[in-house]
Formats: sequence, C-alpha cells, structure tokens
Amino acid sequence: MLLWPLFSVACGLAASGLMMMLLGKNPLAVYGTLFGYAFRDLYNVADIFAKAAPLILTGLAFGFAFRSTLFNIGGQGQFYLGCVGAASCALAFGNLPAFLLLPLCLGASILAGGAWGAFVGFAKARFQANEFLVSMMSTYVAIAVMNFLLRGPLKESKGEYPQTDVIAESGWIPTMIPHTRLHWGFVIALAAAVLAYIVLWRTSLGFRIRAVGMNRDAARYAGVDEKRIFIVVFFLSGGFAGLAGFMEVNGIQHMLVQGFNPMLGAEGIGIAILGNAHPLGIVLSALLFGALKVGGTLVVQTSAIPASIIGIMEGFVMVFVLLSYALQDKLAVRRKKRDIQSRKEGDSQ
Amino acid sequence: MLTGLLARALQMSTPLMIGALAEVYAQRTGVMIIAIEGIFLMGAWGGFVGAYLSGSLLAGFALAMAVGTLSALVYATLTIKLKQHQIVTGTAFNIFAAGVALYLYRVLFGVPLLPLTVDPLPSLAIPLLSEIPVIGKALFDQNILTYLTFLLLPAGYWVLFRSRVGLIIRSTGENPEAVDAAGISVEKVRFLTTLFAGALDGLAGAFYSLGFLGMYTNDIIGGRGWIAFAICFLGNWNPLGALLGALVFGLADATAIVLQTSGVKLIPNEFLIAIPYILTIVATMARKHFNVPTKLGTPYIKERK
Repeated sequence: MLLWPLFSVACGLAASGLMMMLLGKNPLAVYGTLFGYAFRDLYNVADIFAKAAPLILTGLAFGFAFRSTLFNIGGQGQFYLGCVGAASCALAFGNLPAFLLLPLCLGASILAGGAWGAFVGFAKARFQANEFLVSMMSTYVAIAVMNFLLRGPLKESKGEYPQTDVIAESGWIPTMIPHTRLHWGFVIALAAAVLAYIVLWRTSLGFRIRAVGMNRDAARYAGVDEKRIFIVVFFLSGGFAGLAGFMEVNGIQHMLVQGFNPMLGAEGIGIAILGNAHPLGIVLSALLFGALKVGGTLVVQTSAIPASIIGIMEGFVMVFVLLSYALQDKLAVRRKKRDIQSRKEGDSQ
Repeated sequence: MLTGLLARALQMSTPLMIGALAEVYAQRTGVMIIAIEGIFLMGAWGGFVGAYLSGSLLAGFALAMAVGTLSALVYATLTIKLKQHQIVTGTAFNIFAAGVALYLYRVLFGVPLLPLTVDPLPSLAIPLLSEIPVIGKALFDQNILTYLTFLLLPAGYWVLFRSRVGLIIRSTGENPEAVDAAGISVEKVRFLTTLFAGALDGLAGAFYSLGFLGMYTNDIIGGRGWIAFAICFLGNWNPLGALLGALVFGLADATAIVLQTSGVKLIPNEFLIAIPYILTIVATMARKHFNVPTKLGTPYIKERK
C-alpha cells in the first residue's frame, strides 16, 4: 500500500534533480544536504512536525470534501479567514487567561474558516453553482478581506506595516518540546485527522457523505439529502483549513502578516492527492512535505537554489502520483484479462 | 476619463477573450482545461523570455504559444490518454507551473538587481476612426493583438457552429459514441483541440507580460486564468457569450485600476481589486440555464469487443 506513493515520491525527487542540474548543481549533494539538515538534530526534527501541522489541516480540507466528490479548491482563503478569526480574538481578548483565550481563538478560527467554506456549499445547494469555481474565487475575496483588515482595523499600533501587533502571550500555543518550535497544535492537527476518519467511516453522516461521493443518484434515491451534505461537508472542510490559521498565528507567528504562507492551500491539495484523500495518508504526506520544507530552507540559503525548487518537487511528486494511478489501472486491467484467460483454459481441460 | 476607462477595459478583456475562447473549444469536446491558470503563467513566462532574449516581440509570442502547446500536451496526455481526473490533474499542473516558471526564470537570468523589462506591444492608431470623439481613441487606438482578437471571436463562432470541424468538435462533447461510429477518433479530436487551446492560452498569458507590463513577475496572472475559465461557463460555451463576458470583466478590472489611480475613494482598494472575483461568484450563482456539454469532464472509454 505504501509502495506506489513511495515510487511516485522517488520519481518526483529524481525529476526535480534534473531541474537542479540545470543550475549546475549535483542533485545527490543537494538531497544529502536537504535530508541531512532536516534530520540533523532534535530542533529540526521537531520543526518537521511543526511545519506538518497546518499542512495536515489544509490536506484534510481538500481530502474531506474530495470523499464526496466535491472540490474545495478554496483552502487558502479559508485558512486566511481562520488566521483573521484567531488573530482578532487574541487581540481583542488578550487579557484573558490562556485556558480561556486558547479555546476561544481555536473556536474562532474554525468558525471563520467553516463559515467561509459553508458559503460555497450553500451556493451549490441553493443555486447549483459550480463549487470548484466559487471556492476558487472565494480565495481572492478572502485575500481582499484580510488585506483590508490588516491595513485598517487590525493594523499594528505602530502603523507601519500591514500586520497585526504581537498577540498576548496567553494566546500562544504552549510548546511540546522545550527549545523547539513544536507546539501542542500538532496534537490538535492529529486529533482533527482522527476526527475526520471517525466522521467519514464510523458515523452515519460519513456514510451519507461517502454515498454521495460514490453515486449521487443512488444516494438521492436512498433518501440522502444531498443539499445538506454539501453545506455540512464544506463547513467541516473550511473548518479544517481555518484551524490551520490557529496553528500558524497562535502557534508559530504569534501575529498575522499580510500574504504569509501563500501556498498552504495548494500544498494541501497535493498532500491530499498523495495521501489518497485518506486521513492517515494525509498525515504521512504532510510529514514528508514538512521535511522537504525544513531541509529546503537550508538548501535555498546555502547553495543558491531558488526557493521555488520546493514547489517544483511538490508538483513533480503530484504528477507522478497521477501517472502511478494510471499505471495501476493498466496493471489491474491486464491482471483481470489474465485471470479470465486462465479460467477459460481451466474450463477447456 | 471615460475614454481611458473604455480603452483600458478593452485592453484588459483581450487576454480573457482569448483564454475563454480556448476554453470554449476544449470544453465543447468534453475537456475542461483546469490547467489554464498554469498555462497562462507559462505563456507569460515564455513570452517574456522569448522577447527579452531575441529582442523581438514576435519571437516572444511565438515562444509563448509553443510553451502553451507543450503545457497542454502534458495535460492532455494525463487526462485524455491516461484518463486521470481533470480537476486533480489541472490542480497538480498549476502548482507545478508556478514553481517551474519562477525557477526557470532564475536559471536564465539569475537574480537581477533591477527588474528586467522589454518594450510592451505598441498601440496602433487607425487613421480617421481613432479621431472620433470619446470612443475613437478607446476603440481604435489599441495594440494589434486586441484588434485581431475582436476578429478571432466571430471567426471562432463561425467555425464552431457553421463548419464541419465545428460539428465534429461539438459532437465529441455531446455524443462521442456517434463520432466514434463515424470513424473519427474521439481521443484525437480532444487531443488536437486541447493543443490548439493550449497555444491560445499561451498567447493570452503572453499578453500580460508583453501586452501591458513589458516584464515578468511571479504573480502576474493572479487568477485571471480562472476568470477566463469562468467566462466560458457564464458565456454558455459560446464564443459570442465569451466576448460579452470578457467585456464585462474587462470593464470591472479597468474600473478598479482607474479608480485606484485617480484617487477617488468610493470603497477601499482591496474591494475594488476583488470586484471581478465577486462578480464571478454572483454570476455563477445567478445563471440558471446552462448548456453544459453532456460529456464535460468524462474520459471516453472505447468499448472493446
């Protein structure tokens, strides 16, 4: 089960290696540095997990909707709105103690991202709008909303840059391992993955979600209210992405800066595809992407390779995942043919 | 100010029209080019690189179309030949293109201290017509690509609805079995149409680097590919609908730019920039009756006897 994804990852890294050779770099040396650095010491390994936490969540944002064949391409916008929700709560209620402030920020991020997502589901349920287009466009609107808030109401008190003040320390997610950046948010991200698994495979709601995904007509015939499913799926989906905002604002940045982490939503899509839209697969893929990011930063700093190489690696891995799916289909067809053939021969004897 | 607004609107709608026309053709055969945002970006990159290295805009546009075709070839192979999911494949391609375009720019030019520029496509004033007050300057003082695009759309309409090629293209999206029965390869029609659309998308992308700015930046497309994609839907898979839709969006885009630079403060800048995207959402929700090509998004699997 792990063989095909590993094969795709290996091919993706090999192809990216060819791109590195264009700049006259030795890919083996680059990868040596990359993985050597990522796993060099406890601080870096912990950083892999810290980087993976929001990636798990945007991966779930796409993967969860994908299970009912709905396309939530708007993870980036839902993530930004989650950031806005978490940051504005932390700024407004900074004098609250941590045990009140943290759940408040967490709830605000889920609600903000979820509501932004639910709108897409609503547009689909009520107006039969194409969810792919609406969720895509909603990201650009979310960026506008965030930029507006950061230049106006949420702007730092010094008033120089489009960013918020540093939030009160009671709003920081506590670190898990001292002297690293790994915070307890990673556990929350894992819990979200487990929750996604339980909802999808252990509840009747999940059964209905997957039924809509497998055969919409049959599901409708069986009495599933697909309109409600659209809204619920998009709310949960957006909620996952919004929660990623809580991770980044309260766990890592401790403030909100305009336009930060602009690829998180797209990376989530890649992670969900590599992980076959299964929560466990998503967690593993997010850890891999986290390692690429941690090691990638050093490679980018030291060997004059542009930061876009990380995007290329992710893109190549995704393309090879698709190729491996096609290959698996072909192999399955051939196997079936051979089975039929051997059965026929068995009959004639 | 009105003249400036109209002129700008026409200019901004040009690449949207080209992209939407490409999408109309491809989707009529059943293939959604979800990779459009990435192909626009590759086109903008190819256009700039070609023009900068050769010193000729023509070479830039040629390279942009070649890069667009090549990108479409990758997309078509994955979706048409290997029958992978179009939305998933397209999303993967877009992420890939964003990395590759930036990376190859760096491979070619390193880290320049000042942004590299070329002279953008000049405007050609048509004698007499451009002297008409208000609209003259707006309509008849555009660059050559804009004029050509306004000819391209009616031509595209004619081919799609009045010619044999158009009939084959439309049938492929509606009833591929019949096309197959007539002895025409469905995959071939889809493949060729997608490649043609890729060339057009590359051209449209180059318009952003060579038509307006004369330079290449990382976020040069900024979702305009998606808007072209949306216009194809909203224009009901019809080149003339695409023409109309692109004009509306061009006007929205131009209004945002003109209001921003004129210093008139009606609403915050951020929301001006968001107008085209909000408009797409509203239009997608408001549109009731679509003529969706029946086989849109479904791979064709030939029955094996």
